[in-house]
Amino acid sequence: MQYTLTRAEGGESAADRYPLDQRQRVDDPMSEQVHRNLFMGKLEDVLSSAVNWGRKNSLWPYNFGLSCCYVEMTTAFTAPHDVARFGAEVIRASPRQADFMVIAGTCFIKMAPVIQQLYDQMLEPKWVISMGSCANSGGMYDIYSVVQGVDKFLPIDVYVPGCPPRPEAFLQGLQLLQDSIQEERRPLSWVVGDQGVYRAEMPSQREKHRDRRIAATELRTPDSI
Amino acid sequence: MTAADESLISNAGAAETPAASSADVVAELARQFGDGAVTPQTTLTGMPVIWVPRDRLRDVLVYLRDVSRPFSMLYDLSAVDERLRTHRRGLPPSDFTVFYQLLSVERNADILLKVALAERDLSLPSVSDIFVNANWYEREVFDLFGIDFAGHPHLTRIMMPPTWHGHPLRKDYSARATEFDPYTLTVKGQEVEQEALRFDPEAWGMQRQGEETEFMFLNLGPNHPSAHGAFRIVLQLDGEEVVDCVPDIGYHHRGAEKMAERQSWHSFIPYTDRIDYTGGVMNNLPYVMAVEKLAGITVTDRAKTIRVMMAEMFRINSHLLFLGTYLQDLGAMTPVFFTFTDRQKAYEVIEAITGFRMHPAWYRIGGTAHDLPKGWDKLVQGFVDWMPKRLAEYEKAMMDNAIVRDRTKHVAAFTTQEALDWGVTGPNLRATGLDFDLRKKRPYSGYENFDFEVPTAVNGDAFDRGMMRIEEMRQSVRILQQCVDHMPAGDYKADHPLTTPPPREKMLQHIETLITHFLQVSWGPVLPANESLQMVEATKGINSYYLTSDGSTMSYRTRIRTPSFPHLQQIPAVMRGGFVPDLIAHLGSIDFVMADVDR
Ligand code: SF4
Repeated sequence: MQYTLTRAEGGESAADRYPLDQRQRVDDPMSEQVHRNLFMGKLEDVLSSAVNWGRKNSLWPYNFGLSCCYVEMTTAFTAPHDVARFGAEVIRASPRQADFMVIAGTCFIKMAPVIQQLYDQMLEPKWVISMGSCANSGGMYDIYSVVQGVDKFLPIDVYVPGCPPRPEAFLQGLQLLQDSIQEERRPLSWVVGDQGVYRAEMPSQREKHRDRRIAATELRTPDSI
Repeated sequence: MTAADESLISNAGAAETPAASSADVVAELARQFGDGAVTPQTTLTGMPVIWVPRDRLRDVLVYLRDVSRPFSMLYDLSAVDERLRTHRRGLPPSDFTVFYQLLSVERNADILLKVALAERDLSLPSVSDIFVNANWYEREVFDLFGIDFAGHPHLTRIMMPPTWHGHPLRKDYSARATEFDPYTLTVKGQEVEQEALRFDPEAWGMQRQGEETEFMFLNLGPNHPSAHGAFRIVLQLDGEEVVDCVPDIGYHHRGAEKMAERQSWHSFIPYTDRIDYTGGVMNNLPYVMAVEKLAGITVTDRAKTIRVMMAEMFRINSHLLFLGTYLQDLGAMTPVFFTFTDRQKAYEVIEAITGFRMHPAWYRIGGTAHDLPKGWDKLVQGFVDWMPKRLAEYEKAMMDNAIVRDRTKHVAAFTTQEALDWGVTGPNLRATGLDFDLRKKRPYSGYENFDFEVPTAVNGDAFDRGMMRIEEMRQSVRILQQCVDHMPAGDYKADHPLTTPPPREKMLQHIETLITHFLQVSWGPVLPANESLQMVEATKGINSYYLTSDGSTMSYRTRIRTPSFPHLQQIPAVMRGGFVPDLIAHLGSIDFVMADVDR
């Protein structure tokens, strides 16, 4: 599997534009470790999996909403959809206590510096889900006041399409994030090993589901319920 | 019906039609100010539209405000860049026109005043001392059109960031983000923007020091759990007491009015859904009705009734969201889980009928997107049967709850007069005791055929505003029941050449019909040059679309008047002297979404 290595201490290439950290594509760091030292490699693999398992099943979301998509996001938090099934029901009002942030809604130019500030206040490890067409690309708002995709300045882990995405789609996005967290390689401590963050390049959902989707040629008519 | 319900009955039906008293206002003004001072314009807005010279504007406004049966509410104020408008025959020359819409509850009538401005002299006197709520509207015009208001207490940008250049609603300002350089955020830029957001009390004429205390300035928002979206309010505090506060908006400005100038009449419909985004198709209603006025389309009874039914579904849906979050802001965790369960039920109905949950964009010019599906009545009936016992439970478990009552009774109360002064409409106005509901006073889309009451309350406090929604849901359920029982037969769409999308059967005849169909679908219908306006009683108050057509496939100017904008403007007037927890209760009880404020 291919990984993206992110190093926090940017160096000069950061050239002061967000996102600041440096990224490069690399192979799975773990497999290299294994070749070097079988025992240490194995141990690190087990530890890393265990930590990731813990992380992905207790994701605390940041209570952050921008517009309409946020309503569908909160819907996912309430009884009929019950996000607690995925261990992500502990909504935090402070970015400092949260693990991930969902950009649920339109990213406005006036709001972008605020979003950046809030993101900076979240502690590592942290993740970002971009929810809805507006956050993904500006959506139907190609207009002077809207940033055409929040990834213009934030690193995004999962994109959830829709305007707004159904709560189920948000929950799927959450599970995809969990899957990718399971594959992550992060330093186990500040004294152990490489300090970079390795994020797995997860398979594209579009390609994965394409065959099944184009197989549907007949859609139900809206004449009956 | 219970006794409590009966006490809420309003004197329905006694409404005088808006047009009746409009002629005499123009005559009155002409008599008062001389024929030269008032130039009437004929439009399809359903109210007198009068051009007044800039130097008489203030006198005319004062006169209308103080006349017997006064126009006591400044309902809307905005502007039009007229420089590219071609159909202006008979109108006074103008590069930029600022308009003032006044509303009279006593007359149940409106009047629209227009002031012509020349490009080299874009200034007019502020009227914020005549109508307090002109303050924000004038700032908005200043921000988006670059028109100066002499004597305004604090004329700064309101929608765009303070660091912005240009005035987006001018015709020579590009609409698309993709016409500008791609957005980047640099470390330097971040510092500049953050610094620009810093609140400066002196700039607002606020003291840092009281007689005995030093005030604390608390920044709440633009992201705060009880601010309901991207809304910021800066509090000047003396301990827990709110000495003063300054709401700061514009973090949710999606340029919907500019967007309308480049979408066809038809393709703008989805943008309306996203104005009051909890209101769904309720937003389509004023827009398509205003377009239908321009096009001269009469809608069938079935289409009208379907529209009413879906709009009321969304009213319930929006009020349920309100109720859950309102109680959550007061500290109750559970209600939101209950009300969202009901919302899920509502969505099952909405989705089965319209095919989408939040933003169905389901109304069309001339009717709806399609007919009701087979079996719709059972679905709606199921929802109608479900709701009443839930509402009874909410009332008992929540509104009878001692903590909720203590937190909200006599908190953030205002009188009817204050509400009118600030442009407050909808349930928040009715909570003060005035039964002004457009569905009764100026029935549209067939509301005159329904049997329902307009709930009112007495104190106009945070508690009443909460109760009001529960009562309104009951009435909406009644309306739904009548829709199920008496849904008219017939077409769901008017038979008219300008409806969208044009019927497919008419296309398949010969090449001419094919070409016409192609143009109607790709460019959309061409609407005759004129102006029209439609107000509706939306979920949060009165929402209206004021359309100016220049005889094209797109709107020349679309003014969207939303209820939440004045509701937020009123906050400081209500909160001065209150406590921080009262402010949170008040924010919860207003029922606003930021898209309904900033558009
Ligand atoms: S993607 Fe659609 S639903 Fe989501 S914020 Fe944007 S306009 Fe609203």
